[in-house]
Amino acid sequence: MSLLSVAGVSKRFGGIVANRGISFDVVPGELVGIIGPNGAGKSTLFEIITGFYHPDEGEVRLDGTRLTGLSPDAVCRRGVARTFQKLRPFQGLSVLDNVMVGALTRTKDVRHARERARELIRKVGLSEKADAHARTLSTGQRKRLELARALATEPRILLLDEVTGGVDQRTIPELVRLVRDLHAGGLTLLVIEHNMRVITAVAQRIVALHLGEVIADGAPDAVARDRRVVEAYLGQAYVQ
Amino acid sequence: MSAIAPAVVFFAVAGLAPLVVRDAFLLDSLVLILIWGTSAAAWNVAGGYAGQISLGHSAFFGLGAYAAALFGARWELSPWLGLAVGAVVATAIGLVIGYLSNRLRGPYFVLATIAFSQVLLIVGSRWRGFTAGSEGIPVPFRPGFWTLGIADKRVWVWIVLGLAVLAYLVQLYLERARRGYQLAAVREDEDAALSLGVPARRLKVAAICVSAALTAACGALWAQYIGFVDPFYVFSVDLSVKFALAAIIGGLGTALGPFLGSALVTTVETYLRAQFGGIGAGLVGIYLIVYGCALIVMVRWVPQGLVGWIGDRLRRRAVARVAP
Repeated sequence: MSLLSVAGVSKRFGGIVANRGISFDVVPGELVGIIGPNGAGKSTLFEIITGFYHPDEGEVRLDGTRLTGLSPDAVCRRGVARTFQKLRPFQGLSVLDNVMVGALTRTKDVRHARERARELIRKVGLSEKADAHARTLSTGQRKRLELARALATEPRILLLDEVTGGVDQRTIPELVRLVRDLHAGGLTLLVIEHNMRVITAVAQRIVALHLGEVIADGAPDAVARDRRVVEAYLGQAYVQ
Repeated sequence: MSAIAPAVVFFAVAGLAPLVVRDAFLLDSLVLILIWGTSAAAWNVAGGYAGQISLGHSAFFGLGAYAAALFGARWELSPWLGLAVGAVVATAIGLVIGYLSNRLRGPYFVLATIAFSQVLLIVGSRWRGFTAGSEGIPVPFRPGFWTLGIADKRVWVWIVLGLAVLAYLVQLYLERARRGYQLAAVREDEDAALSLGVPARRLKVAAICVSAALTAACGALWAQYIGFVDPFYVFSVDLSVKFALAAIIGGLGTALGPFLGSALVTTVETYLRAQFGGIGAGLVGIYLIVYGCALIVMVRWVPQGLVGWIGDRLRRRAVARVAP
């Protein structure tokens, strides 16, 4: 009864193994965090789930249907939306038009898409900027924009790549609140996050990656204390 | 999103002009402005709206011109049929170029389009048995609408105007419809568009095909109007640059821009040819230098094109009126 299931996924780039036999499941309504030091393979895993990369081995399924082998746009239409670590708003379009592009994946009616987009822009707190060009937004606002745009595709599971990365300390709580609200509303989320304090606070479960492999999978406090996780993050000297 | 009022005025003036104007030179200029404007609008569908900058659109224009001319000269069939066949062949080649656009990005795509038009130039100028080679094809004048043997330039204005309005409507669709929003997303960031469920590759190919078919239709009408098809002209890079230039000067990704750009470029070119063409062979190409200078001026000071520039002016004036 898992919604998203990642089974034995491996991906190599030349001699570098980015993902090795990664398996885990996400059940409906769950908020799962993915952590790991730089180069652990978190982003590669995201690219594989969303169809931008094809795995060398293993497969990804959504509610039993195979996603692996589909193109990224087809994966999105099946119900997997994502944000990008390096933000990619449509710079030359207005905030409203940005979000409309997402909404138009679910409706053919432009007017309906516009209404839906306005709703979501309000939800993420960007109403004042609705008609501004995306290039004029701050990083925090761009994150909200990407969130609204992804939500507009009415995903069954939302993948967030670094929610709080690159934004100033004061903005973090607002973004965290936003993610919590989405989860409380019933959305299933898979979240990559560097900030340990943030992820242990919001996630129900954490999957820890190191050098392309899953080294821990469980409740946040258990994973945070896990010997191999501490070692991977801080080095052997810190292992008690 | 632009208001359509200026376009209605533009096309209405063009359509009513033949009722008032009798001067053959002015009517000829109007036909050419509309043909080059429509070609630029067709280019704009791929280059402006889809962001697939091509400098090989003369390939499609030449195909249309040859198709219409060959249908008339070789098989004594209607050039309208030639226009349709030219558009179909251009669409097929558009599929190939569209496929390339999914493999090659930026300058590599531009080079591939140039190469394509040059391959057709070689075919057109060397395949003597079929295309009459580098001598070109004189289009036989057979009076009648079906054979497009029309001496009255006023009728030509209206025929070309029909195609111009069609090209304008295609662009308007791209500004207002669902596919237009999606195409804009592809132009801005293809990966982000994909992640939102936009079928980016299919849309790009479709835009290039529509652009190709419209350009071929322009080529077909142009060949019938001018009465002669020269491979070195219809497949030239100059011509491709002319389409792109008119669209860029008028305003990339704006529906009326290519027509305004064409009005400016065609008028300036005609004027310069008339002024300097007769003086000596050394000055024949001077309009190309002026083209270059115009492009530099536009890119440096009016990068948004004529439509954007005029829009800014009007907005500023409106604001000044509200808050004196």
